[in-house]
Amino acid sequence: MSSSDMFGLIDRRTLLAMGGLAAAAAIIRPAAAADLYGPKAADAKSGGTLNMGLLVEPPGLDPFHQAADARIRLTVLIYQGLFYESPDGTAMPLLAEGFDLSSDRLVYTIRLRKGVKFHSGEAMTAKDVAYSYNYIRDAKNGSPGAGDFAMITAIEPTDELTVKITISAPNAALPMTLGNKYGGVVPAGYFEAADAKTKLNQASVGTGPFKLAEFKPNSNATLVRNADYWEPGVPYLDRINFVFVPNAASLLVGLRNKRIDIATLARPQDVKQVEGVAGLVVERKPSFNQKAIDLGAELKPLDDERVRRAISLAVDKDEIMRASIGGLGNVIGTMVAGMQESWGVPLDKLPNQKVDIAAARKLLAEAGHPDGFALTLTSIIGYDWMDAAAVTLREQLGKIGINLSIQRVELGVWVKNFQSKQMGFTFNDWATVPDPNLLFYRHFHKAPEGADFRNWKNDKASALLDEGRTENDPAKRREIYTRYQQVMAESVPTIMLFSADHMVVRNDKVRNYDQHPTGWYYGLARAWIA
Amino acid sequence: MAIYLAKRLAASAVTALLASLVVFLLVRSVPGDVVGQMLGQTSDPVAAKALREFFGLDQPIWRQYFGWLARVLTADFGTSWTRGQPVLGMIGAALAVTIQLAFATLFLATLIGVPLGILAAMHEGGAIDRTVQALNLLGLAAPVFWIGLMLLVGVSSGFDWSPPLMYVPPTQSLFENLSIMALPVLSLALLQAAAYSQFVRQSIISALGQDYVRTAIAKGVSTRVIFFKHLLRNIAIPLVTFMGLILIQILGGAVIIESLFALPGLGRLLLSSIETRDYPVLQAGLLAVVVIAMLVNLAVDLSYRIIDPRVRLS
Amino acid sequence: MSKSGMPKSMLGRLSTAAARLRRQPDLAFGLVLLALVLLVVLFPGLFTAHSPLAINVDKAMEAPSSAHPFGTDDVGRDVLARVVHGARITLSICASALFAAAAIGGALGLVSGFIGGRIDMLLGRLIDVLLSFPPIIFGVMVTGILGPNTINLVLALTVVYVPLFFRIARSGAMAEASLTYVEAARSIGMSEPLVLFRHVARNVVPVILVQCMVLFPLMLQIQSALGFLGLGVQPPTPDWGAILQQGKDYILLAPWMSAFPGLAILVTALALMLVGRGLQRQMDRR
Repeated sequence: MSSSDMFGLIDRRTLLAMGGLAAAAAIIRPAAAADLYGPKAADAKSGGTLNMGLLVEPPGLDPFHQAADARIRLTVLIYQGLFYESPDGTAMPLLAEGFDLSSDRLVYTIRLRKGVKFHSGEAMTAKDVAYSYNYIRDAKNGSPGAGDFAMITAIEPTDELTVKITISAPNAALPMTLGNKYGGVVPAGYFEAADAKTKLNQASVGTGPFKLAEFKPNSNATLVRNADYWEPGVPYLDRINFVFVPNAASLLVGLRNKRIDIATLARPQDVKQVEGVAGLVVERKPSFNQKAIDLGAELKPLDDERVRRAISLAVDKDEIMRASIGGLGNVIGTMVAGMQESWGVPLDKLPNQKVDIAAARKLLAEAGHPDGFALTLTSIIGYDWMDAAAVTLREQLGKIGINLSIQRVELGVWVKNFQSKQMGFTFNDWATVPDPNLLFYRHFHKAPEGADFRNWKNDKASALLDEGRTENDPAKRREIYTRYQQVMAESVPTIMLFSADHMVVRNDKVRNYDQHPTGWYYGLARAWIA
Repeated sequence: MAIYLAKRLAASAVTALLASLVVFLLVRSVPGDVVGQMLGQTSDPVAAKALREFFGLDQPIWRQYFGWLARVLTADFGTSWTRGQPVLGMIGAALAVTIQLAFATLFLATLIGVPLGILAAMHEGGAIDRTVQALNLLGLAAPVFWIGLMLLVGVSSGFDWSPPLMYVPPTQSLFENLSIMALPVLSLALLQAAAYSQFVRQSIISALGQDYVRTAIAKGVSTRVIFFKHLLRNIAIPLVTFMGLILIQILGGAVIIESLFALPGLGRLLLSSIETRDYPVLQAGLLAVVVIAMLVNLAVDLSYRIIDPRVRLS
Repeated sequence: MSKSGMPKSMLGRLSTAAARLRRQPDLAFGLVLLALVLLVVLFPGLFTAHSPLAINVDKAMEAPSSAHPFGTDDVGRDVLARVVHGARITLSICASALFAAAAIGGALGLVSGFIGGRIDMLLGRLIDVLLSFPPIIFGVMVTGILGPNTINLVLALTVVYVPLFFRIARSGAMAEASLTYVEAARSIGMSEPLVLFRHVARNVVPVILVQCMVLFPLMLQIQSALGFLGLGVQPPTPDWGAILQQGKDYILLAPWMSAFPGLAILVTALALMLVGRGLQRQMDRR
């Protein structure tokens, strides 16, 4: 099959997947700018219950101690931080109204929004903000956000609605760090109760547009509208049932038969199974996620950069993407697709991106493996794209003599290996908030400042990451991260394969849902039912 | 009888104690823990240590076991680590779903299986018998989850209908509940009905061969009397045993059907608490399954005595 | 094959067997099916020219056609080739686990039932506990502990089945141990192990073997159920449960991906049951 045929196929599939021309506009339009949670609807009707199908059940709803992305997707509707992660990469004021930065760029004086109430009815003050963020940043409280907050040295309320945050070194990503991924603002003293940690799964104490009404294991989580919400007129929905459907077949059948009003598909290609169904609309949105191959240097011979480069040269990202998600995404170099425009480097300006079997073989021979070697790839059970990707990768690496065996492990086991920096050669699937510092620092800066899960131990990269973190000027910052990405592409601690697009399937009576590129369900704060 | 019961219960208690140890060791041997799951790719050693202390995972393993055991003995099953709900309530709710599934399956399987079995036995060797047997074999041979999948897709494309995905208990809406339960029950019941009818057929045929039945037939006793007075009583005991077995089998064995049809049953609760390493739920859930299996076995044994007073319980 | 070359006795035996089979058409049918399954297991090349592993992303999910009678899967592999080559893997996993379980559980049960006393009581209790665990949950945990690969899958299935065989062997041994011939053997001074192996085992082993046959279809169900949960063999190894697991997510688009492996399981289980039942009937008659 010629390459033009191949592209023809992709185009046809893409078109089919979009389910009509109306949806095409949504794809071409860049991520919406400067509207909190997406645009408000002019003609919205209030009320109604929305049923959203979820393939992955959140393992808990505690934003302070639970890092799972499946948790964040929901809790951004319940808890709020000081800033909102606008898809264009700016940190928009949320519970904050604005801030002043001292001339040494170490002290942020943040003014808070007036009239914000917790779900419990009390008014939010600067004391609550200071308490919540102090709780997160103290690692002894066990929050996964503690690492991101480590740069903060002090948080104090200066008056009822002003809070002063001091950091140890200039950090351009601070506002984005005070977003909605971890924590959020809760009433001061909340965690003093012994059962406070587990109780967050039953009753919410946030300031968000929705309150938690019910969380039943293996069944549903139900949110109801927060009547005291501080934004006027929103949200429109009275009630959201997140229904946990443990397999794609049942979810798709449920969508077809209108048991479910809306779902985002874990595997974009599943969209083909519901296309053309009357009353269903499909929308495709760019994402901040990345499907990657990680190369842990603790596993020989991956400690040899030449070997890592050889592997990178043998990987045909496009083929893997077509095999695993039906081509419904974007091949990436060193930056997730949703941030490519703002922070990425064009793929043709990065080394080791194009398949070159001869060069790869030469590198392997130089490294002392002229006949290749045996390698084990770890993939995670339940991450569907990895199955097809694994067998495709196996064929590709076979071409340079690497005999790949595939080992599927359960997520808990995988996480254990990851945390103990014994990840070896593995698939990974993770997402980011739109800031390069938050994307790279913890993962790739050498220890102890970063976690350096892949044992990369790269001084040059670490220096650039430090530089990028302190630089405030956007143009200079971009230049630093460009250099960083070139180092990363050259040394290959990870091979970022592609970003899978978010595929939203909704009943046409569900209106104004805008999928945020993080994959979080912010859009439900603006959606309504016709 | 009372002495027998006391003895059996005492033996069961010993078994349950043993079970608690086996359950605990098994659960704790699975690598990874709830803290790893909570922190995911953000692992911070200080945070991890703090959380391990919070959950008591830093304690020596034997202390964790005896601590758990002591609490269980006072009926304190604790709170779920990931849900914040009392474990007992969660297991109760899940058990209610699975028990409904089990009894509905048993009911439907009896309704289909017993008459078919009797019919086949009455026409032993004939065309009806052969057809029933062929159906039985097909029912026994097909993987249950495959039947479920095919039913789901078949019904959806044939009738544009699929069961609701959010579970509703029968007390809230019987109709909604039944439309949720229909397909999973049918998937499970096809297999059980086959096993049932096979079993009933075999029992009747062997009972028919017994001397006393032959004598009764020779004496000219009516078929109906033979059937109800002799046959039914004779197959009742094995039938009860059989029902007990099926109940136990569905109790934890319907995991895949529960997953396929999004039922919040016990099997799925166990599976998801393995995933999240929610030890309080997982340990209590497994213990519950073992204890219930013992109680069902006990009930089966006791029912022998009620069905046939000649049975001596020793 | 020419009849003249065969010794008379063998010919006679064959014709009696044939006559017996004629009286039992279901056993005959089962044997034919089983022979077919065995043929697939031994000579997969006879049934398909395609490789079960070769991917072709551009030919993903093609409907059944003359080139691909069972269609292709999500990465363009031939489903027939995967099902055919999967037979050997699936069935050898089941068979090894079954025989390992029969050997371990059988031996333990024999000894335990024969010795009796406290050891027997303790072992019996432990087995009671293990038996009441739901097999799939048990399998999930054991593969979780051991890590999912083919050997560990066999181990997990073995562990699940050991209690069943233990029970069967134990009750058999207990029944035999109380019979007079064992008493007699003991009284003439035969040592315990000798009594155990010479007499008791000889009478209990056939029962276990028949149980193997009877339990095989059940094993097939559990094995494929574990595969369905993603706990089977590692990709790209074709295993029926794993093929089904992959196919289920494409059920609306490419039903052939799950229909055919399911049918393969059904046909094999059917063959085994027909033969197992037939054998049991033969044994009962004796």
